[in-house]
Amino acid sequence: MTTDESETRRRPARPHTRRRFLTAAGAAGAVALAGCSAERTGDGDEGGDESGGDGSDGSDSSDGSDGEGDGETPTLTVATYANFIDAPSVSPGEWLKEEFESRFDAELEWATPDNEVNYYVERAASGAGVDADLYVGLTTEDLVRVDEELDDDLFAERGSVDGFDDVREGLLFDPFERAVPFDTGYVSLVYDGTTAEAPETFDGLLDDEHAGALIAQNPGGSATGRAFLLHTINRFGDGGVASDGDGEAVSGEDGDPDYDYLDYWADLQANDVRVLGSWDDAYTAWSEGEAPIVVSYSTDQVFADMEGENLEEHQIRFLNDQAYANPEGMAVFADADEPDLARQFMSFVLEPDVQGEIAQRNVAFPATGTAELPSDYAELAQEPADPVTFTYDELQGSVDAWVEAWERQFAGN
Amino acid sequence: MTDGDDHGGDADDGGDADDHGDDTDDHGGRLARVRAGTEARALTALAVLTSLTLVVAFYYPTATVLVEAVVVDGAVTLGVFADVLTDPFYFGELARLLSGEPPGVVARALLSPDRRLGIVGFTAYQAVLSTVASVALGLPAAYLLARFEFPGRKTLRSLTIVPFVLPSIMVGVGFVATFGQNGTLNAALSALGLPPVDLMFTLEAVVIAHAFYNAPLVARVTTAAWESVDASAVETARSLGAGPVRAFVDVVAPQVYPAVLTGAALTFVFTFGTFPIVLALGGFELATVEVFVYRLVRDLNYAEAAALAVVELVVSLAVLLAYLRYEARNATSTRGARPLPRRSLVPPSLSPRELLPRAGLAAYGVVAAVVFLAPIASMILASVTGGDGALTLDNYRFLVERQQTGAAFQVRPWPAIRNSLAFAGAATLLALPMGVVVAVLTTRRYRGRTLVDAAAMAPLAVSGIIVGLGLLRGLVFGVEIAGWRIAAGGAVAIVVAHAVAGYPFVVRTVSPGLSGLDRSLVESARALGASRARVIRDVELPLVWPAVVAGAAFAFAISIGEFTSTVVLATGADAYTMPVAIERFIGRRLGPATAMGVVLLVVTGLSFVVIERLGGEHRGL
Repeated sequence: MTTDESETRRRPARPHTRRRFLTAAGAAGAVALAGCSAERTGDGDEGGDESGGDGSDGSDSSDGSDGEGDGETPTLTVATYANFIDAPSVSPGEWLKEEFESRFDAELEWATPDNEVNYYVERAASGAGVDADLYVGLTTEDLVRVDEELDDDLFAERGSVDGFDDVREGLLFDPFERAVPFDTGYVSLVYDGTTAEAPETFDGLLDDEHAGALIAQNPGGSATGRAFLLHTINRFGDGGVASDGDGEAVSGEDGDPDYDYLDYWADLQANDVRVLGSWDDAYTAWSEGEAPIVVSYSTDQVFADMEGENLEEHQIRFLNDQAYANPEGMAVFADADEPDLARQFMSFVLEPDVQGEIAQRNVAFPATGTAELPSDYAELAQEPADPVTFTYDELQGSVDAWVEAWERQFAGN
Repeated sequence: MTDGDDHGGDADDGGDADDHGDDTDDHGGRLARVRAGTEARALTALAVLTSLTLVVAFYYPTATVLVEAVVVDGAVTLGVFADVLTDPFYFGELARLLSGEPPGVVARALLSPDRRLGIVGFTAYQAVLSTVASVALGLPAAYLLARFEFPGRKTLRSLTIVPFVLPSIMVGVGFVATFGQNGTLNAALSALGLPPVDLMFTLEAVVIAHAFYNAPLVARVTTAAWESVDASAVETARSLGAGPVRAFVDVVAPQVYPAVLTGAALTFVFTFGTFPIVLALGGFELATVEVFVYRLVRDLNYAEAAALAVVELVVSLAVLLAYLRYEARNATSTRGARPLPRRSLVPPSLSPRELLPRAGLAAYGVVAAVVFLAPIASMILASVTGGDGALTLDNYRFLVERQQTGAAFQVRPWPAIRNSLAFAGAATLLALPMGVVVAVLTTRRYRGRTLVDAAAMAPLAVSGIIVGLGLLRGLVFGVEIAGWRIAAGGAVAIVVAHAVAGYPFVVRTVSPGLSGLDRSLVESARALGASRARVIRDVELPLVWPAVVAGAAFAFAISIGEFTSTVVLATGADAYTMPVAIERFIGRRLGPATAMGVVLLVVTGLSFVVIERLGGEHRGL
C-alpha cells in the first residue's frame, strides 16, 4: 500500500514485457497498489475525499476538475436509495438535481450506497466520517435502528425549514424532530379483478375461496412485507411477544386479546399464503398468474395506466378500509459540510410545485397539504380511508422481536 | 505409479529450492543458474503477492465482521455462539444434544416423525438434494461433451457455463414462466394430454433451480478431467484383455471421480450458502441460514449474524476439506498427453452397445431442454413481450434510450457491458497466477497443509453478505495507520475482489491435474536444470491446460455474475456492471431488466466461446 495518492492514481498498467504467467503476477501487485487512497485523519479536513463506495458521482463526473479552491460553487451531497434516482420508469432524482441547481448557486451530487442508511451507520461507527450532507428516504424504522446502534447522533435537528408547517400532521414520525417527511405511500393489496375478487377484511383472507390466493413478502428483507406484517400486528395485537416478560402487549384493533398476529399468520399459512423474498419476486409471480392477490403499493394503477395495461387487472383493496402508511423523511447529517445548504434543500423539497413533482415521479403521495398535483392524480393513486402506522415509540424495542417471532413460527423447520 | 509426492526436497516451498537442490544443478551453466534464480524468486514473490492480496481483500475485511461473533461490546464472549448452537430453531434436535441432553433421547427424537432439522439442518438437507440433482444432470453432459464429436460441440461446451452467471432475478423470471401454473411445461403437458404439475413454491423448484446453476459446474470440471485422460492408458488396459467396462472402471473412472467430487463439493458449498433464489421460488417456509444472516445484518444485529456466518463457514469448510483429503489420497498419475478419441453422435452400427448410450443421451437431451433451455428461452421471450402480451422491441428500445439520455449518475447499458468485460478480463488474469501458485503449494505434502487448504478455499465458504460488509469496513472505509486513513475503492478494488472470489476455482480445477502428474516428468526437468517456476510453466501447466482454461472460464464467470462486492466497492455509476444494471432496471414491469439480462446472456456466451478458442490455441505439447 502507498500513502501517496497522487503518485499511484494515474499510473498506467504495466505493459506486457515478460511471459504471461509471471507478468500477470507483476500486474497483480501494481493493481493492488493503484486503487488506494490515503487521507489525513483527525485534523478536521474531511472535504477532499473522493474515494469510498457510496456510489457517489465523485471522481467520475465529466467536469474533470476537482479543484477545491475557495469561492467555488458549493456541492451538496444528497444520499438516498437507488430507486430515487434510477428506476426504469420514473424517478425524481434527475428533475430534482436540475431544478435545485437552477434555483440555487450549488451543485447537487447524489450518493446511493447499496446498504442505504446502514452505510452511514457503519461509517460513523468505524470513525471514517460521514461523507454526505443529508439523507433522503428515512423511515420510522430506520430512525429506531440508527438510534439503537449509535451513541452519538447521526442526524442533526431539523432547524429552520420553510414549509415545515405545511406537512400533514399524521406524517410527523420523528419524536426528536430531525426527519422532515417529504412523501408517503401505502401498502395495500393489489389484485387481478378479472380472476378474483379480493376480500374486504383480514378475516376474509382466511376463507376457503382465497386459499393460496395471496402472495406476500419476507418481512425481514422487504419493505412491503414488513409493512404488511406490522399491519397485522396493528390489527390483531402482538400477544406480548416483545414485552420482555413485563406483561405489556400491543392490543389489536380486533378487540380479541386471545388472538394475536401470530395466530392470524398461522391461519394464513394454513390457507396457503405465499411469502416470497422481495417485492420483485412476489410481483413477478403475481404477474405470471401464480396467485390473484399480492401485497404491494396503493399506487399500482398509476404504473398500469402509464403502460397502457388493463386497470381491471390492477385493482386495489384496502383491508378493513385501512392501509399501512410508510412516510419517508429527510434529515441533515450531524457531520454535514453544508448544513445550511442542506436545510435550503429541505425547504425546496417542501415547496408546493416540488412536492407535486416528487409525488408523481416517486409515484407516491405528497407530505404537505399544499402540494400542486394534477386534479386527476387521486383517480389512480388511491389513499385509504383509515391509514395506520406504528409510531417511533411503539416500534422501538419491539419491531425486531415481532419479526423474529414471526420468522420462528413461519419457517420452523 | 502412485502419488509420487514422497520425494522430499522437491521444491515444496517453491522459492529457495534451487539453493540446496539436486546436485545435478552443477551441470547447469552460470547464466542459466542466474536466470533460474530469478525465476525461483518469481515463484516466491508470486506466493507472497497472492497471500498479501488475500489478506488485504479478503481475510482482514471478513475478520472485521466475523470477530463480532465473539467480541460483543468490547468483551470477548462465547455466549452468542452458545445461544445459536443450543437454539432448536437453528439446530433442531441437535441443539438439544448441544445443550446437554443425553444422546439417546436426542437420537430417539431424531428418529421420530415430527423431528426438527432446524434451519441449519434444513439448509444442509436441501444442499445435499441440490448436489445430487446437479451431479445427476451434469454427468451426462460431461459424457456427451468429453466423449462424442458433433458439429457445434466446442461452442456448446463453452456455453454450458452461461447459467452460472445469471442473476437470481432472471432465473426467477425464467422459472416462473417455465414451471408456473401457466408456464411452458404445463402448456406442453396439456398439449400431450397429461395432467399439469404444480412445481412453484416447492422444495423441488428450488432444487431444480440449484441444478440449473450448478450442473453446468459439475459438467465443466468433469469434462476437463475426462478430456485429460490419456488414451494410451486405456489402450494398454484393453490390450491386456480388459473389456470396455473394465477399462472404464479401472482407468478412466479413477481420473474422473476427483473432478466429479470437485463439482459436488463446490455445489454443496454454493447451495448451502444459497439466498435469493430460495425465497423467490420456494418461499419463506424454505428459508436457509443465509436468509437469516441477511436479515440480521440488515437489522445491524452483527453478533448473531457473524455467529451464523461462522457456522456456515465451518460446515462449508468441513465439506471442502473432507473432499480435499479424498483428492490427496486418490491422486492418480497421468501424463495426459493424448486425449481419448471422440465418437460420432451418429451410431456407426445398430448394435445395442452403440445404440444404448446414444438413446440415453437423447433422453437426457429432453430433460436438459426442460431444465436449462426452457427457462433461458422464457427469459428471452419475456424480454420481447410487452405489457399487453404482444411481441415488441420496446424493452431493447429502453436500453438504447437509457444509453442516450440517462443521467451521469444512472446506470447505462454500454458502460455496464464494458465494465463487466474489463473487470472479468482483469480478474481472470489476476486469478490465474493466484490460483496456479496456490495449486502448486497445496499439491505438495507437508505439515499444516490442511490449514493452507482451508485458508485458500475460504473465499468460497464465507457468506457473501459478510464479505460485502467486510469489504465496506476493510477497504472502502479503510484502516487508520499513523494518522492516515488508507482506503481503496473503485475499479481496481472491484477487480481484486472478483479475483479473490474466482481464484479458488482455478485452484480446484488445476490442482487435481497437477497432483496427478507423473513426478518423473518434473524431476527430469529439474535434473536438467530447470527452475521450479520454469517447470510449472513449461511442463506442468501445458499438461493440465484444459483444467487451466476451465479455471479461467470459471474465474471469468464469477466476476461477470458478481453483485455484492461490486456495488459495495463502486465509486460511481460508471463503475457498475451488467448485474447491477439488471437490478436497477427491475421495475414493476420486468421487460427492461430481462432485456438487459439477455444482453448479459449474449455477452457472456460470446466471451466464453472466445476464451476457450483462445485457450485451445495454446494447447500444450
